[in-house]
Amino acid sequence: MDASQLADLSRVLYFPTTVMLYLASAFTYLYALTTTVGRRDEQRRGHRARLIGGALAITGIGTHVAHEIVRGLAQNRLPLGNMFEVTSLMALVGVVVGLVYLQFIRKQPELHGFVMLGGSLVLGMAMLVYADPGPLMPILDTWWRTFHVSLLVGAMGIFTAAFIFMGLYLLRDTAELAVADARVRPGGGSTVGAAHVGDLEVDGATTPGSADGDDELERAQAAEYRAALRAGVPTVKLAVWTFVVTGSVSWVWWFADGWGTAGLGRFLTVNLTMVAAALLARWFVPYLPSTATLDGLAHRTVAFGFVMWTVGTIAGAMWAEVSWGRFWGWDPKETGAFLTWIAYAGYLHARATRGVQGRKAAWIGIGAFVVLMATYLIANYVIVGLHSYAEL
Amino acid sequence: MSVTTDSAPPPVQNPRARRPTRRAPGPLGFIWSSTVMAWRWITRMRTALYLLGIIALQTALATAIPQEPNVPTTVAAWRAGEEGPGVIASQVIDAIGGFDVYGSAAFLALLLLLYLSLTACMVPRVRAWIRLVRHSQPPLVRHLTGQPEQAHLVTDRQPAQVHAQAQQLLQGRRWRLRPHEPDDAATHPVADGGLATRPTPAQVAAEKGLWSREGGSLLFHLSFYVLLIAIVLGQLLTFEGQRGVIEGEPGFHDTAISYWSYNPGRWFSEDDHHGWRLDLDAFEVDWVRDPLAPGAGQPTVFRSEVTVTPRDGEPEAAVIDSNRPLMIDGRRVTQLDWGYAPRVVVEVDGQVVHDGFIQAVVNQRGGFFESAVKSPAADPDIGHRAWFYPFAPPDEDGNPIPTGAPWDDAPLLVLEQWRGDLQLGASQQTVNQLDTEGMESEGPLALRVGQTVEHEGVTVSFPEVRRWVGFQVASRPQLNWLVFGAGLLVAGLIPALYAYRRRLWVVASHDHATGRTLVTVAGRAFQRPEAFEEELRDIAEELADATGGELLPADGIPTTDDPASDDAPRPTPDGDDATTDRRDPDDDDDDLVISDRRSDVLPTPVRSGSSPTR
Repeated sequence: MDASQLADLSRVLYFPTTVMLYLASAFTYLYALTTTVGRRDEQRRGHRARLIGGALAITGIGTHVAHEIVRGLAQNRLPLGNMFEVTSLMALVGVVVGLVYLQFIRKQPELHGFVMLGGSLVLGMAMLVYADPGPLMPILDTWWRTFHVSLLVGAMGIFTAAFIFMGLYLLRDTAELAVADARVRPGGGSTVGAAHVGDLEVDGATTPGSADGDDELERAQAAEYRAALRAGVPTVKLAVWTFVVTGSVSWVWWFADGWGTAGLGRFLTVNLTMVAAALLARWFVPYLPSTATLDGLAHRTVAFGFVMWTVGTIAGAMWAEVSWGRFWGWDPKETGAFLTWIAYAGYLHARATRGVQGRKAAWIGIGAFVVLMATYLIANYVIVGLHSYAEL
Repeated sequence: MSVTTDSAPPPVQNPRARRPTRRAPGPLGFIWSSTVMAWRWITRMRTALYLLGIIALQTALATAIPQEPNVPTTVAAWRAGEEGPGVIASQVIDAIGGFDVYGSAAFLALLLLLYLSLTACMVPRVRAWIRLVRHSQPPLVRHLTGQPEQAHLVTDRQPAQVHAQAQQLLQGRRWRLRPHEPDDAATHPVADGGLATRPTPAQVAAEKGLWSREGGSLLFHLSFYVLLIAIVLGQLLTFEGQRGVIEGEPGFHDTAISYWSYNPGRWFSEDDHHGWRLDLDAFEVDWVRDPLAPGAGQPTVFRSEVTVTPRDGEPEAAVIDSNRPLMIDGRRVTQLDWGYAPRVVVEVDGQVVHDGFIQAVVNQRGGFFESAVKSPAADPDIGHRAWFYPFAPPDEDGNPIPTGAPWDDAPLLVLEQWRGDLQLGASQQTVNQLDTEGMESEGPLALRVGQTVEHEGVTVSFPEVRRWVGFQVASRPQLNWLVFGAGLLVAGLIPALYAYRRRLWVVASHDHATGRTLVTVAGRAFQRPEAFEEELRDIAEELADATGGELLPADGIPTTDDPASDDAPRPTPDGDDATTDRRDPDDDDDDLVISDRRSDVLPTPVRSGSSPTR
């Protein structure tokens, strides 16, 4: 096979194969999540769906890895040279780390669906910046780059997983607060013990098999509680906020097009996709694990990503000293990396500060991810610096 | 004996003792109390978060606005209103120092505040940590029922043997140990009320992660001082010079005067130059030339072959590659820039007024190279604006077609001739630009290599084209210290995030009912309790194996402990729990305390009110 055939193969492996497998796996997993509260036969079906979802996810990861290898063969270098390759690998790292972490370390496999959904979204984003395989600039052809870029791309993938956990945490927390509020208000406005009422209900509603699956009364109560949880997240507010927060990053595409219609199309596609994902996540709020679990997941993933980001940035400074003759020059990308580092350091510090934990910390974390994505796009599209590789 | 009631007059001394010494604070008092308030404000964790937030905002500003040290031409264009938001907005940006954020007073002041805040947090924490390391030992317990994680096993060994076995086991797992075997006299102390207090049972107390977690966090924060000192000293000791060299032409010496751009630190003296000489023999550059190949037009190689001659030594050949700088006597030489150097000869009336290479710089948008030829020897002055097209192949009629390709297979030099006053020394101008203020254009001319053209009484020839490379020579003695600081940062960060704090106790006692020895392994995790659950079970299983006992199922626990005992681990008088149990602020306790709303339902160690805030 010659290079162009390999390139074609890698493209087909990426789209539709990998993207569709990821999406299918995400929806299968999410379906399995809804069966955890059903009758016995539904739960059995859910178990089967989980197995299918796992098979789809593993096949998807397999085709994704195959795509990376074929692409590497087609251009005879590691596929880490342009925005498409970086974003695609970011999705791969996020999915693999997320699944392994949830399955084997945290033992929270019910969240797989959201990880796969996030992976599909990042893959879709990579398609917006698709580039055919090609060689690498000589200045990039060094193991320094492999080291520096893989660490930072890995950290980006992990931060993406953390972002998903934080978003789910905020959704679940909002829902629980609303339910607790609604229960207490008729009794006279006191919130003492509100959380406990909710906690008791949560156990019955989400733990599979804890209640007898065929007890109609309990099932009806659980369903009512689920509906209350879902109603606790205001749809319009969620949609508007998702649009605004996504827009704070995605305007870059519109800008890069000179505020043209193609750019507007991209802008709207990204925003509406994110809004759809947020509304989908809202529907699954009742099936989520406890806020404590989600918050802990977000914190541990950020901590891991932060270490990688730190080491990757230091490696970048070392490479810059070797290659450009200065270790730090406040190039837009360097400034962006520094800003992201500060934002995530702020999140870790907020977690340790009384009064800034929980929701406030999660919002700081969401802000940090916005900073990460914004600097990633801005430094590539808007301000041309030494690190710009959008045109490659 | 009279009973004191509420109506009884208070003791005589009381009023005097209680009288408030309230005086109007003098100016000194006001200054003092303001200073105390300011200090308190600066030591708060929240303040540090705000400061970090403001630095983040400034950094965001620096990402969005071009920075003068990086792109001076863009900043100049912004100021002139040619690019960016306009002149007035640029003046506003200038007023707040937005074009040089990292050199602005506001940034330096903020950095100072941040380091002050850091210092204020570090001093008590370092002291507390040293105290912790020097004096603390794992606290002993009286009651184990309050511990969140428990495992029980029975064995036929004696309690003392079990304790010895547990010590060996925990030592192997790198726990810090404190064995406790009370002697008989201390076993049954009688309190003054006549009630026997419960004795502290024989036990092995152990803990892990207490030093390393806080120590890692301290190391992480202290590394910022190393970085700061390295950067400040670096600014003083560094030296950076740039110089362009043409292939085959004489190079330059490492002396202060030979650099075109010369940035020494304050403490770098001219005597620190080594005086070696560097000549460029050849510069190799190539691209993907096939327009249909993937990555068409991208460069594939940048390589300079140079000759280095030490001050008193033999010349030596060396290669400088894009990722392989050359080290000469501790100076790092890197390629910064390159371009074509056409040789242009200008003759007027048979007199050569210019003969030399001009260094053409690539145009910002790419495609061609620009420069200027200045011939002040002519009268009046002659100047040429020069555009160099490396690849301009002729079409069917022989007319050159400039392409954007950068390889010099069909070079074309286009000159626009000017006559008048070059204003050398009169106006600020660079070598590559012509100041046409006092000149008049005499039209363009085009030359191929080897051609000579007569234009308006001036003979211009273009005998050859070479390449030039812009070298940077830099001395950075601070680099090792920066690497050291970065190493400290990472070395501290990992334990600060991944060393989990745990306490564990092994208590073996003789069970009179069965005649066997009952062993309880109990513990508490301050971080990631769900991982500790497994670890504790592992330890209990290993202990059961080592002592030939068997693990009891979790629900069949014999309750030998006092059922009325409270939840908190009760420190014994000699266990200095007051210092070790203080929760450090970096504590995440992700699953113990999530938010204020839920903290009341989960067991949490007591926070000491006087604990430092970070």
